[in-house]
Amino acid sequence: MNELSAVMLGAGATASLVASLFFLRFWRQSRDSLFLWFSVSFATDACTRLMLGLGHIADEQQPFFYLARLATFCFIIIAIVQKNWPRRNGS
Amino acid sequence: MIAAITYSLCALTAAVCAYLLLQAYRRGGYRLLLWSGLCFTFLTINNLLLVCDKLIFPQIDFSLWRNMSLLIALAILLYGLIWDTES
Repeated sequence: MNELSAVMLGAGATASLVASLFFLRFWRQSRDSLFLWFSVSFATDACTRLMLGLGHIADEQQPFFYLARLATFCFIIIAIVQKNWPRRNGS
Repeated sequence: MIAAITYSLCALTAAVCAYLLLQAYRRGGYRLLLWSGLCFTFLTINNLLLVCDKLIFPQIDFSLWRNMSLLIALAILLYGLIWDTES
């Protein structure tokens, strides 16, 4: 990884953390689980990018870091579908 | 094998998230859904570049393009979050 990529990775991790805090605030205001999953997703993203940027992680170990991202994306999909499902049935 | 499945599923789930969010925006018109949908569109590109980087063209370094797509995704989302908060 070159220096520019490392800087961009750090900026991306920070931006993810900021987005996570925004969604956490929205969740506290509305108690909507979708916001909580967004917050968890972006916080996880920030952590994985930070760890990938800081550590010298072998290529074989990297997929396990991305499993966390995959799990949070799945939770977001479930939360969106759950949010829209009652509306579809109700109409 | 685990790497191929994980990276591909990351791209697929990000694409599904983008589709569902943009679809929800079309129905409801809530702007935050638009920004989130656009963010996930770029996150899909980010994850597709990850697939290219790690699986299809391992000899080429895509890290700069991957990080650039990530920054665009998050810049769009943060712009939306700040804009919607102020309005």
